[in-house]
Amino acid sequence: MRDTYVFLGLILLFAAVNIGLVASGILVADWTGLGIIVAAGMTLALYSFLYKDNPIFKFAEHVFVGVAAAYVFGQNWYPTLYGEIIAEWTDPGEGETPNWWLLAPTVLGLLMLTRFSLRFGWLSRYAFAFFVGLAAGWTIPRYISSFILAQIEPTLQPLTGSGSLEGLNLLIVLVGVIGVLVYFFFSVEHTGAAGHVSKVGIWFLMISFGASFGYTIMARVSLLIGRVTFLLDDWLHLM
Amino acid sequence: MHKLLAIDRRIIFALVFISVAGPLLAGISLPITPTDEVKAAYDQFEKLDAGDIVLVSFSYGASTQPEMLPMSRAILHHAFRRDLKVVAICLWPEAPGLAQQVLEEMAAEFDLEYGVDYAFMGYKPGNFSVILNMGQDFHSAFPQDQWGAATGDLDLTRSLRSLRDFALVLDLAAGDSIEFWWIPYGQEKYGFTFVAGCTAVMAPDLYPFLDSGQLGGLLGGLAGAAEYETLIDRRGSASTGMSAQSMAHLVITLFVIIGNIAYFAARRTSSEQRS
Repeated sequence: MRDTYVFLGLILLFAAVNIGLVASGILVADWTGLGIIVAAGMTLALYSFLYKDNPIFKFAEHVFVGVAAAYVFGQNWYPTLYGEIIAEWTDPGEGETPNWWLLAPTVLGLLMLTRFSLRFGWLSRYAFAFFVGLAAGWTIPRYISSFILAQIEPTLQPLTGSGSLEGLNLLIVLVGVIGVLVYFFFSVEHTGAAGHVSKVGIWFLMISFGASFGYTIMARVSLLIGRVTFLLDDWLHLM
Repeated sequence: MHKLLAIDRRIIFALVFISVAGPLLAGISLPITPTDEVKAAYDQFEKLDAGDIVLVSFSYGASTQPEMLPMSRAILHHAFRRDLKVVAICLWPEAPGLAQQVLEEMAAEFDLEYGVDYAFMGYKPGNFSVILNMGQDFHSAFPQDQWGAATGDLDLTRSLRSLRDFALVLDLAAGDSIEFWWIPYGQEKYGFTFVAGCTAVMAPDLYPFLDSGQLGGLLGGLAGAAEYETLIDRRGSASTGMSAQSMAHLVITLFVIIGNIAYFAARRTSSEQRS
């Protein structure tokens, strides 16, 4: 019951703040002003989850999912599905003939949707077979070139700059790569020399996870900074 | 010590909020030193001649805008200041509205003409296949711009045939488009100079591509954007946010230290009580 009063109080406070902002002329009573108020309300509603799960948060969450889904659908429908397929057939432009070659990918795409039918679901296999074959043909050579060959080259640079910072970096990379590879080599028991090298690999992995975690915290704090800046500057005009 | 370990998480949230809001309200400014990878990205733009065409791919959505918008703004400002031409595309469905906003803002600042100084081709689904398509025939991948004008009718895009026609390609990404779309299907295949801006979460995974030369420069998160703002000598929202970022990191680090001390102290007390 106490939480209900807390949330009702916060809604009233939000309304009072907005009335004050509009009345004092800080926020203009137009579509832009309304947009800022809605955005501020949604931001606060979503952050209310930090206190505890509540209906205001749930409402904001569902609105976000709905709006995002509709936006993505619109972006796919108008320029591409309608603009480049349907309009190509129904309104090809003066002096141009409809491009019927587009039927082939369109039919393949539609076949994928037969997955939803128990009776016609088998038809989707043709579309998936085409797509898997095409994607494998595209991907395998590109990935070998980009992620294996191109990455091996800088890893196996000669340690020419020994004594310099560059040489030290190359040495660290080399030790790290060997250590981690040995750690993930499970055909040999990790005892003796292999055990020591794999321990070095574990250390490199831990440092790498730590760096990734640090960057993740930085990213999340950046998002918080973005919303706090919006609330303090665009909404309340305190900055 | 046990009480400290069972601290209400809402107290931590409140302290993090204060550590972010405090420096923003106080307007504290801390020095920012650009890192090598951000300098490399800046240098790639500096090497270009006036009139060179840059392809900017927007692959981020609203959820990462606080990191990506200052970055987009800083790089576009630098490009337009150097009289570079910009062709913008989107490979994420959420991106067009955000891309259009920052493009128009920067174009207005430099009084640029649409279709001559910059063009916006909009969103195209297909992920890496769009990149392959652009490499083969740019006009086929984007037959028209965001507003329906034919690509062949715009001065800027009329002569573009392939990805090789761009002096530089920049991907501003919040997903896997840098690593899994642009590098294997674009940079490796067509050999153009490639620079990337990404969210901080993605940055550690991309450092190996700097070493291999597949990336010519990298901006990671709000810090990367702030460093770029420093290099172009234009203080923006990223630089303003860095003081809050540093303060929040300080608070989080303090909590990590306090948490560890409390944990080990509590464990020691428990083992002493047992013995």
